Amino acid sequence: MNGRAREWLREIPCRVGEIAIDRGDAGRWILTHRDDRARAELHPHDGAEAAVELARYDDAGNFRPLKTAPNLRHGWRLVLADEQEVERALDFFYPARLATWRSWRAGELRTTPLRETLERQSGMYRVTAKITETQANELVANFCRSDGGCLRTILWRRDATGTLPSTLLPAEKFDPQHDQTGRGEAALPLLCQEACNLLVAASREVVKSTPAL
Amino acid sequence: MISETHSALLIVGHGSTVNPDSSPPNLVHAAEIRRRGVFAQVECCFWKEEPSLRDALLLFDSPALREVYIVPNFISEGYFTKTVIPRELELTGRVTERITGQVWKYCEPVGNHPLMTELLLQRAREVAPGVPENETALLIVGHGTDLNDNSAVAAKREVEKIRASGRYAEVLNVYMEEAPLVAAWAQLTRAPHVVVVPFFISDGLHSYQDIPVLLGIEAEPTAAASQREVFRQNPYQLHGRSLYYSHAIGTEPRFAEIIVEQVEAFACDTARPRKILHEVP
Ligand code: SF4
Repeated sequence: MNGRAREWLREIPCRVGEIAIDRGDAGRWILTHRDDRARAELHPHDGAEAAVELARYDDAGNFRPLKTAPNLRHGWRLVLADEQEVERALDFFYPARLATWRSWRAGELRTTPLRETLERQSGMYRVTAKITETQANELVANFCRSDGGCLRTILWRRDATGTLPSTLLPAEKFDPQHDQTGRGEAALPLLCQEACNLLVAASREVVKSTPAL
Repeated sequence: MISETHSALLIVGHGSTVNPDSSPPNLVHAAEIRRRGVFAQVECCFWKEEPSLRDALLLFDSPALREVYIVPNFISEGYFTKTVIPRELELTGRVTERITGQVWKYCEPVGNHPLMTELLLQRAREVAPGVPENETALLIVGHGTDLNDNSAVAAKREVEKIRASGRYAEVLNVYMEEAPLVAAWAQLTRAPHVVVVPFFISDGLHSYQDIPVLLGIEAEPTAAASQREVFRQNPYQLHGRSLYYSHAIGTEPRFAEIIVEQVEAFACDTARPRKILHEVP
């Protein structure tokens, strides 16, 4: 977003998900894994495009289908020339999260209840609409949980009446002020405005494994 | 008219939850188009990866952007272009006006572009440099005729065009899951050289990992194509022939050009009486 005020980048270090953003020399910016901020021996990278590869695999070399999963790899240091580059890098690390946050801040973010997302599906995912309330409650708790599942703050509800996504998740999971990494620091929230395709796919597995009555 | 200050581009890809090679061609083409500075903003979105198609609704929030061109990076019209993309992007037809006044324009998938034939030929020549075409069988691999998928139709159209050029000794369509099967390549062809070009958008479709196995050049599907040496070992000597195996056509850098041309085609087409290209359910 050329020229747009980057209000999210005011507080330094700025933390977004598992990433720490610090100021470097000569107006440059330094991104690291939050666990690595104090580490000296980090593999240097530069330019926003490097984020594509850094975000693709976890520490064990496995593909990361969900970029907001708490498995960002360690051991790197990304040097970026300016704020615009920082934004581009973040768009690779956490695609569309800045745009979602901006929309939310502006009071314009539309969220979609899980039921609506599932009922909209077609083809192989049409069956997901059959997931029961109990199954959905358990699935969301397992799949979206911040420790081991996903670091997003859930803003959607389970249905149009406002049922919580899962009663098994702590209240913080729905609180944008809460640092979902559990470090208790100020962090820019990664917001979830609508169930992702991975959760839809997982719903299908649940429905498929339900014995027919 | 595409404007470098008011027009944005959204490239829609399939993506994959298991294969790292699925989304990179989209990102590479987007980076190239961005570098050319034709659009004010260029973004990708995916059915199976992030940003999602739903996220894409939030990506063009600058008030300066008056129009967003959507180009499906798909081989053909089908279930995705006709059902999934319009639904997820809340399109009401070829042209959709948002409440902000921003207009979203739905272009044709890349695979429909006439340049595709030339790219397939170019790819075939690159994978088997110096190999005489009149002693070569060219196999274009497609998925197969899924109910909602016209990719087999598109692959057949390309084969007919290449065959008509008379350059190759043989030109054939083969499929992964239906006859004529890619696995039967040795029986289907007679030429001493065989070039195999997958008519796919990326090397990362889940099924794509099976092609080397079906060809007999690998024992079992292993890691993603990018993590293997499969393309570097050409030619493979099998059944008394030389077999050359290519990357999926969608990894071709000139796809960036095709994406832009699909936008230009749309922009020109709106000046003429509109033909309905997409049925939106
Ligand atoms: S639905 Fe949202 S919170 Fe749950 S896993 Fe997907 S992106 Fe994360």
